[in-house]
Amino acid sequence: MVAARLEITGLRKKFGGVVALAGVDVSIDGSGITGIIGPNGSGKTTLFNVVTGAHKPTAGRVTWNGQDITALPAYRIARLGLVRTFQQAMSYPGLSVRDNVSIGFEHGRSIGSTDRRWRSPDEVLAFVGLDGLGEEVAGSMSFGNLRRLGIAVALAADPVLLLLDEPAAGLSDSEAGDLRELILRFPKMGIGVCLIDHDMALMGAVCDHFIVLNFGTKIAEGAPAEVLQNAKVLEVYLGVDL
Amino acid sequence: MSADQRRDAVTAPGFSLNTRKTGSSGWLERPPLDHIVMGVAILAFLIAFPFFNPGYRFLSLAITTGFTAIALYGLALQFGQAGIMSVGHAGIMGIGGYTAAILANQLGIGFWLALPASILLSALAAGLVGLPSLRVGGQHYIIITFCFCALLVIALTNGGDFTGAATGLDVGPIAGPFGINLAKLRNMYYLVMLALVVSLVLTYVIVHSPYGRTLWAIRENEPLARAVGINTNFHKIGVFALSGAFAGAAGILQTYYLRHISPPLYGAFPSLYLALMVMLGGARPLYGPLLGAIIVTFLPEVGGLDPIDSRIAYGVGLLLVILLLPAGVSGGLLGLYRSMIGRQRRAEKG
Ligand SMILES: Nc1ncnc2c1ncn2[C@@H]1O[C@H](COP(=O)(O)OP(=O)(O)OP(=O)(O)O)[C@@H](O)[C@H]1O
Ligand SMILES: [Mg+2]
Repeated sequence: MVAARLEITGLRKKFGGVVALAGVDVSIDGSGITGIIGPNGSGKTTLFNVVTGAHKPTAGRVTWNGQDITALPAYRIARLGLVRTFQQAMSYPGLSVRDNVSIGFEHGRSIGSTDRRWRSPDEVLAFVGLDGLGEEVAGSMSFGNLRRLGIAVALAADPVLLLLDEPAAGLSDSEAGDLRELILRFPKMGIGVCLIDHDMALMGAVCDHFIVLNFGTKIAEGAPAEVLQNAKVLEVYLGVDL
Repeated sequence: MSADQRRDAVTAPGFSLNTRKTGSSGWLERPPLDHIVMGVAILAFLIAFPFFNPGYRFLSLAITTGFTAIALYGLALQFGQAGIMSVGHAGIMGIGGYTAAILANQLGIGFWLALPASILLSALAAGLVGLPSLRVGGQHYIIITFCFCALLVIALTNGGDFTGAATGLDVGPIAGPFGINLAKLRNMYYLVMLALVVSLVLTYVIVHSPYGRTLWAIRENEPLARAVGINTNFHKIGVFALSGAFAGAAGILQTYYLRHISPPLYGAFPSLYLALMVMLGGARPLYGPLLGAIIVTFLPEVGGLDPIDSRIAYGVGLLLVILLLPAGVSGGLLGLYRSMIGRQRRAEKG
């Protein structure tokens, strides 16, 4: 099988007068860990929203493994293995933790298939470190566990490329450490990762490729060490300790 | 997710009833003991009711309560599980009722063959009427359903001989199996109650199956539901269709109970009453719709209210329920029951 690839060309998204994405061209390796960085409001979340079909783009094209997915509804894109997590609101708060994961299990890419990475919702929960919490009501969990649950729900849908939107935001240092370990395991399991986060220590430690957005435009791309030397990037992050 | 939602999810009595314990371990959870006890008690009462000599009037009211509650179980699915209210539910009942009446008058088809047709056409109509809800928000959708009822009444009134125009249509009695005479009120009562019990069980199964869990997920976090591969629009229309199927069954039962139907039965006002009953009784608790139907059907009779008085009473009652018991009367009772049990347990502990 050819390595999975997400191709984004000329992607634009306007909200009224706000240009959230101003024509972005990127090609994301669906088997590595790609980091997307950029200041607040630079269009990172919007990029996820448009790629996964949550929002329709104003212009441009998205293809996944050669298939044009620009006009597909979100659920179809998810079933093709592009599954994202959310910056906020990561669960179904009134359902039990196990049911939250069951939902992903029952609807994702591998519906009906016996050949999956995890055989049951409980195995997914154990994988993200929520073993024993299946009976809890999701809405009553601690924030850190809610973040884990958000990832578990996405994993249950059996992603090929997992798009994580600020998974480390609000986590303690030790929780962020666990998250780092978790993310590093994905490529070995055949799950590619596309990661948005402001935690540069985490990003530097896990990503093999950086894409930098600013005002809806890609201003740099490449190996993390190089990108962080880039003059434009330094300018954007002026005063921020990279 | 707002802090409010989170709190509701944990503490609101109407919600906790549906909070699931088991996940993928079984296809369907076993109902909790208090549900079963309650169910058996209700069943026993329904069977015994005609033997208490309720008289013609009360038996008729019980039948009305029965088919109304069946329609309400549909509306409760739509409102309680998908979160979408409508004031067009009587119109959907009308599709079922008129399907049966037209089949009887045009083709001589009786109750039993018309039953699946009524259910199917009502489901179809409900699915179609539900389509705009994918585009417009709750309040706007309510207005659309209101218009649907108004248009339906106009269409039925102007349908000529086909719909019987303003006079409406008559049907004969149901041909009962095994020589059971369903023109007899008591037998009609048992048929309606059988259908009611089926509706109740179906509701339980739907709410507690993986399908019900999917609906729950859509209601709580639609973007997340889509992001893991749920075809949310399809499922929402599916709930409308299911809701319509209940209304269709209720509609045909009503038709064969009244033996005569006419357009005003299915207008916006009867629809409003159905919405009122669901909110009064509570949409989520299993016995909520039944309770709502009982209260609204029997209140004027028991309280000796004339139609104007009872409308005022409903209005005031609904306001009180919305303000004081957001999960409906049954939700309120359930909360009381839970807190009593809790207190008792605490007392036992020490
Ligand atoms: N649904 C929306 N409606 C209107 N404007 C939006 C919407 N979503 C995003 N925007 C705007 O688009 C721009 C990009 O927002 P986006 O959320 O993509 O930024 P981001 O890079 O994810 O920022 P952050 O790091 O703060 O999460 C912002 O100006 C934002 O206000
Ligand atoms: Mg963002």
